Amino acid sequence: MKDHKEHKKEKFEPKIVGFLCNWCSYAGADLAGTSRIQYPANVRIIRVMCSGSVDSVYILRALLDGADGVFVGGCHPGDCHYIDGNYKARRRMVLLKNILTTLGMEPERIWVRWISASEGQKFAETMKDMTEAIRKMGPNPIAKQWNI
Amino acid sequence: MEYLGDENNMSHKILKVKGGDPVESCNAMLKELLKSKKIHALLVAQETPTKKISFPVLISDPEKLNADIFAPILPVATASIVSKMTKFEAAKKPIGVVMRPCQIRAFAELVKLNQANPENIIIIGVDCLGTFPVNTYADFPENKSPTKYLIDTFAKKTDDADKYLRSACRVCKDPTPTNADIVVGIYGMDAKKELLIESHTEAGKKLIEGLKLDASKEHDREKAVKSIHEHKTKNHAAFVKEKSSIKGIDALATFYDKCINCHNCMKACPICYCKECLFDSSVFDAEAYKFLRKADSKGLFKMPTDSLLFHLGRMNHMILSCVECGLCEQACPNEIPLMEVLINVADNAQKEFEYNPGKDPKEKIPMIVYRENEFTEVGEK
Repeated sequence: MKDHKEHKKEKFEPKIVGFLCNWCSYAGADLAGTSRIQYPANVRIIRVMCSGSVDSVYILRALLDGADGVFVGGCHPGDCHYIDGNYKARRRMVLLKNILTTLGMEPERIWVRWISASEGQKFAETMKDMTEAIRKMGPNPIAKQWNI
Repeated sequence: MEYLGDENNMSHKILKVKGGDPVESCNAMLKELLKSKKIHALLVAQETPTKKISFPVLISDPEKLNADIFAPILPVATASIVSKMTKFEAAKKPIGVVMRPCQIRAFAELVKLNQANPENIIIIGVDCLGTFPVNTYADFPENKSPTKYLIDTFAKKTDDADKYLRSACRVCKDPTPTNADIVVGIYGMDAKKELLIESHTEAGKKLIEGLKLDASKEHDREKAVKSIHEHKTKNHAAFVKEKSSIKGIDALATFYDKCINCHNCMKACPICYCKECLFDSSVFDAEAYKFLRKADSKGLFKMPTDSLLFHLGRMNHMILSCVECGLCEQACPNEIPLMEVLINVADNAQKEFEYNPGKDPKEKIPMIVYRENEFTEVGEK
């Protein structure tokens, strides 16, 4: 037991908040689960009806409260259940990343990926990649910032 | 290509300034306009009885008109006032609205956001020499009226007035009106002798046709406007470059250190129109255990919470339409120089979407349109 704890201490485990669209990415995550594909448990999934319903404020709140990364998953462009929600999400994410770039606030902590309901494998691999990338970046410096 | 109105409806006239007082001459012209009944009322800045401050008034009685269209003060967003009057239905009778260039731009954005109706609103745009903070205007130190002082320094071609200007005005990108029906031009003119009155639309042309104005002769306005644009663009770019050093969470926390979450900046902003703002709602109030959980994770945190979240969230919601009027900064009780961050963010974001707020009324707001094959780097590996 003690060994396990110590091991955890030296290896930084990123906390990732994932907003997954109900129709594609969430179903993709489901498929990964039912197919018993292993992927890191670092992501905390929040199901939303559409990636287009994810306001930048949700992402900012997660980052400012100390999440190390935020993942937004939507249907592939053209496949949106609501026709164009993911196109709008894409523009919104471009704006958010642009603002964070201007303000020097690590836009790389936000990942946007299009994952369909049949892509359980892609979801698991994306989670592995993202967890490793964020691990490399290190903890979110905002997590310690208390005067914001 | 800049939208400058319809060539066919362009008509240039000269208003002769009587007694070296352009304010009174313009007032007389507006009185004539109001008397002509071609407009039912006029929204224009007028001194309040305290003689300390000028506020927009909606005036229908020409006898009571004592307008100061050059008054260097912007106490509230004129665009928001017109939005209040027209968002439920279009004005049934024509209303003349005297606005500064930044407010005309903001009005165009509000129309795009379905928060204002341009029908029957006749925009009279005035070349802007800049505005002073409300209190500077009210207790103006030089022994004359702020308007007179500003016009005098302009006529003398000095930049003495710069020290009194609001910082947003000092770095204004475009102080000449676009998309106005009528333009009152002062740049390139000898303001104590004559002003340029120009119509850009059919409605504007009809209005100025009946006025006692002289035919236009040779004047330098075009050249002056070109040179002022060059100068202002350079000035703006230099400011953006200077302030781009505000980077990183530490710098931002320091920058917004004095923020008390009053949301005045949002209330003063002409673009922030939401009736129920997320940040004014009780979304951020919660049971004590949730606050305690946060305290446990960070050790401590500043209360009230989420002030940086408010500023960043607001930016994400309005920055593409930001016309850089600086009213947010003027409204801040703790004098945080908000524009230093906003101008920089606006500049980069608007460049990314190749969007110029207020310039082209036909162009859609970037967040409601999309193309299939754009920004493909987002979402792909």
